[in-house]
Formats: sequence, structure tokens, C-alpha cells
Amino acid sequence: MSHSTQLDHEPIATLTPGNQAGVRVVRRHYMLVRYSHWLNIPILLGLILSGVSIYWASPVYKHKPSPETGSFDPFADIGIWICAHVPGLHQYSSPPDWVYNHISLGPGMLAAALRLHWLCADLFMLNGLVFVAGSAMGGGWRSLLPRRTDLRDAFKMFRYYLGVPLSKLTRRSWLHPRFNTKYNPLQRVAYFSVPVAGLLSVLTGWALHKPMQLHWLTAIFGGYDKARVWHFWLMWILILFVVPHVILVLADGWDTLRSMIVGWSTRAERWEDF
Amino acid sequence: MTTNLEDEHSASEPETISSTESVPPRKPASFFEERPPQAMEVAPQLLRRWTRRDLLLFGSSAIAAVAAGGFLLPQTTLKRLGFIQGNKNWPKQEFLLNRTLRIDDDVAEALYSRNRLVPTYTKSQITPLKNNYNGATPDPSYIPEWRLTLDGIASGLSVSLDIRHLLVSFQLHEQVTRLVCVEGWSAIAWWAGFRFEDLLRAYPPTSQAKWARIESSVNLGPWGNPDPYFVSLDLSTAHHPQTLLATHLNGKPLTVEHGAPLRLIAPVKLGLKNIKAITRITYTKDEPADYWAKRGYSQYDGI
Repeated sequence: MSHSTQLDHEPIATLTPGNQAGVRVVRRHYMLVRYSHWLNIPILLGLILSGVSIYWASPVYKHKPSPETGSFDPFADIGIWICAHVPGLHQYSSPPDWVYNHISLGPGMLAAALRLHWLCADLFMLNGLVFVAGSAMGGGWRSLLPRRTDLRDAFKMFRYYLGVPLSKLTRRSWLHPRFNTKYNPLQRVAYFSVPVAGLLSVLTGWALHKPMQLHWLTAIFGGYDKARVWHFWLMWILILFVVPHVILVLADGWDTLRSMIVGWSTRAERWEDF
Repeated sequence: MTTNLEDEHSASEPETISSTESVPPRKPASFFEERPPQAMEVAPQLLRRWTRRDLLLFGSSAIAAVAAGGFLLPQTTLKRLGFIQGNKNWPKQEFLLNRTLRIDDDVAEALYSRNRLVPTYTKSQITPLKNNYNGATPDPSYIPEWRLTLDGIASGLSVSLDIRHLLVSFQLHEQVTRLVCVEGWSAIAWWAGFRFEDLLRAYPPTSQAKWARIESSVNLGPWGNPDPYFVSLDLSTAHHPQTLLATHLNGKPLTVEHGAPLRLIAPVKLGLKNIKAITRITYTKDEPADYWAKRGYSQYDGI
């Protein structure tokens, strides 16, 4: 794809031999950005599974031990509740561990979890560098920057999403707002925030990993214990991003999903206004 | 980059797909402005070939990622999920994860500076410190008989010291520092004791010594069984001005829960290196064994 540098001069390049009709496509995602995007899945999964096992060793959130169960950890309470109320789980061997057995490597595995967490954290940082390099080389970072019209346009998008179910019910057309940009303002704020959250996860991770040698970094996040809270909730921000992200990609269709694998999209018409 | 000359040039060559569709390129207002999309016309066969290549690459990477996950996840986890039965031993997995730990330790060692002091706190910021003996807390009957033995010192002799001798020989220093546990909790505590460096000066180790093996022979296992605890400590950390051999906590002599009568306080290390009830220090040339490193934790534990 060496001709990309030419495209500033020629809005339409041609790779069609002879007079055969070609398919009009637009570049969407630079190669390194696509790689780092998909690599995030196994890496973040490893970080979360091992991270929750590390959390188990000393939960951030605790309450007074319950007189009945002896539990002081809300995650253990949830496990106890699930095993008490879900049919088929009444015989579960260790109800307080139910949640940890399902969203982590398991309880009582701190050493194994730490080693896996360091490995995945190293890979996550390297992958972050791949993303930065890809964004710089492909110029995609410009599409992520917030801009002045974002607030107004985000409102239009909100109104659109609110109206979608109603328009489906009443079978009336409800048009997607048009923007002359790669992403709509809600996408943009999400795609801008997620790398920031990733960066903050790395920084809070270092603040927790080296609270003495990097004590200035730990101090930025309000000290060791607060840095743990930050690190914990940054995980939830990443998880809570993924859920609507996957739903909306599937709703948007094959072209959007494919473009993150192959890099191009046939939806060239969105940018006609350029 | 677009000049008027080039605009005219491209407009005068209508062999690009269709001139009616194209709009003259606009010069971006700033470096930060989003660039127009890069549209191109691709022959269907070529597009199919690209797609096939990228989907194959994607599919094989996904299979590789699943395989890597199966390889790297702990056996206990895979067994619980029903992926494996019995004991499978993958020595290469251990090698890779231990290698990661070594790299992490090297980073920690590179970050360490003997001159960098850890933050200190005021006495009003002190937080409760729990007894985190991994096994049973030893019976205090060892305390009256307690002696500290030093081995591997330059004189070639083995030295045995009692607590009264240590308290009168060395100047006591106070510090309020944070103890960070590998489990994720931390506590701010007010310690007093003498500097490890002062002990090193009074009883210098052999010239080749780079490590200290610090041992507590009174440590107990979970059922009260004898289970000596031992840590490795690099002498560079031992020389740190805030590395204390502590005798007091919160202004009172150490209680048995906190390692009476002498424990290590090395705030630049995780709590598990801060060994309680020290009975023997041996200086060595090579890195000695470490209780928790044998159980899969880091060896250096620098924080």
C-alpha cells in the first residue's frame, strides 16, 4: 500500500487494470493500529483475569465481616448469593469463591497471577507503543482529537439513539445525523478516552508496582491506596467500553467489523462532502 | 502540500475514475485537522486477494492467541475450567514466566538508588499494622534466649550478639514509613532501630560478599510446625539509610506479633522481605535462596 502518500495530491487513485469496473474503497485503519486493536483482546483478558486474582489477596472494598458467612468482601457476598439462589448451584463447594472462580484465575493464586500480570503488562505497554506508532504513521490520531463542535453534535447523536427504538416501532424513517468526519462525536470521545484510560492504567500500575522509587507518580494518584482504587476502576472503564463497542459494531454491520481486519471500507459515500 | 499547479494537473487528466465525483482537495487548516479519507478504486480480484490474506492472518493469529492463553494460564485454572485433567507440566511455561520475573527484577534494580529516600510520614498518619505471619505466631518463649548470629564476616569468625549489646552499641533512628505487602495492602508505621549500615560497618562482611541471607529460625508453619523463614537481601539495599534493623514499633519494644526483638525494615522492599525475629545473618558472594521466591514470587522485590 505504498501509494498512500500520493493521495494528498490525487483524491482518487486507481488500481483498476484496463477498463474493468473497480470497487471504490477508502482506507480506514492503518495496519499497526489494526494489529494493536486485536492484540488488546488477549492481553486485556490476561490482565483482568490475573488482576482480579491479585485483587482477591487484599480486596479494595471491604465491609465488617458478616456474622453468618464471615465474608468481608462484596465479591464473595455476590458468590454466596448466587450459590444460594441459582438452581443447580446449591451444592457449590465454596460459594465465596464463586465469583473469583469465574472472573479470575481463581482464588489463592497470587504468585501465578502476579507473574502473568507482569507478562501481560509488558505486552500491553509494547502494544501501546504499536498503537502510537500506527496512529502516527497512518495519521489516524487526527480523527480522535476532540473538537469544538463535539458537544452540539454529541447531542444530535444522543437524540438519534433515543429515537431509534421509537422509529422502529412506528416504522418511520429516522435519519442518522451526517458528519464530515471519520467518527461521530460519541465514537470520537470513546475512541479518544480508551487510549487515555489505557495510559492511566499503565501509570497507576507503575505507581503501585514501584511506590518507593516512583513515589512522585504514586503521589499524583493520591498515594498507594488511592492508586489501587484508580487502577481497579480503570479496569471497569475498559470493560464498560467494550460492551457497547461490540454491540454497536455488530449493529453497524459487516463492513465496519471487516475494516478493522482488512483496513479498508466500501462505505466511501460517507465522506462525499469532502 | 497541494499546490494550484497540481490541482490543475489532476483536473486536466480525466482518466481517474470520474471527475464529477472528485472535489478539489482543500488544504488542511492546521496540523491537527482531520484529513480527508483516502479513496481508491480497486479491482475486485485484487480486493478479494487482500481480504483473503488478511482474514487468514487474522484467523491464524486468533488460533495462536488461544494456544498462547492455554499455554500461559496456570494449571489450576485450566483444570477448574475442565480443559485439562491431571497434572501437565510445561517446563517452557515456567521458563517464560520466570524470565518475565527476572526482567521485572532487573527493571526494579535499575530503578533503585541508594540515595533516593522513600517518603516519610508524620505520627498522626500512622495506620494499624496487622500481624501478617504467614504461619502461626511463634511462642514468645524464644525471646529471653534470643541471640543474633553473624556469619560470613571479614574476621572469618561467627559472632553472636544479644539484644542488650545491640541496643547499647548502635545509635537508634526513628522513621515513619510505609510498609507495602505483596498482597496489595499497606500500612504506615513508626519504627525505631539501628541502621543495617551501622551493623555492616561494625562487623564488615567478607570483601566478596554481595548478599545477605537473613533467617528466622523461630518462624512457624500454619500448624505451628517449625518452618524457618529466610530472605535474600542485596547489600546495596542493606546500605540504604532507611534500611533499619528495627527494635521498636510505635515507641514500644517490638511485640512477638511484629518480630521481637529484632526485625528488618527495608521500605524499598515488599513486606515479605521485611523478615521478623531475625536470628542469623549470613553474608554471601552468590545470591542466597529466598522463602517466597521458591514459591513463585519475585526474588528482588524492589518497590
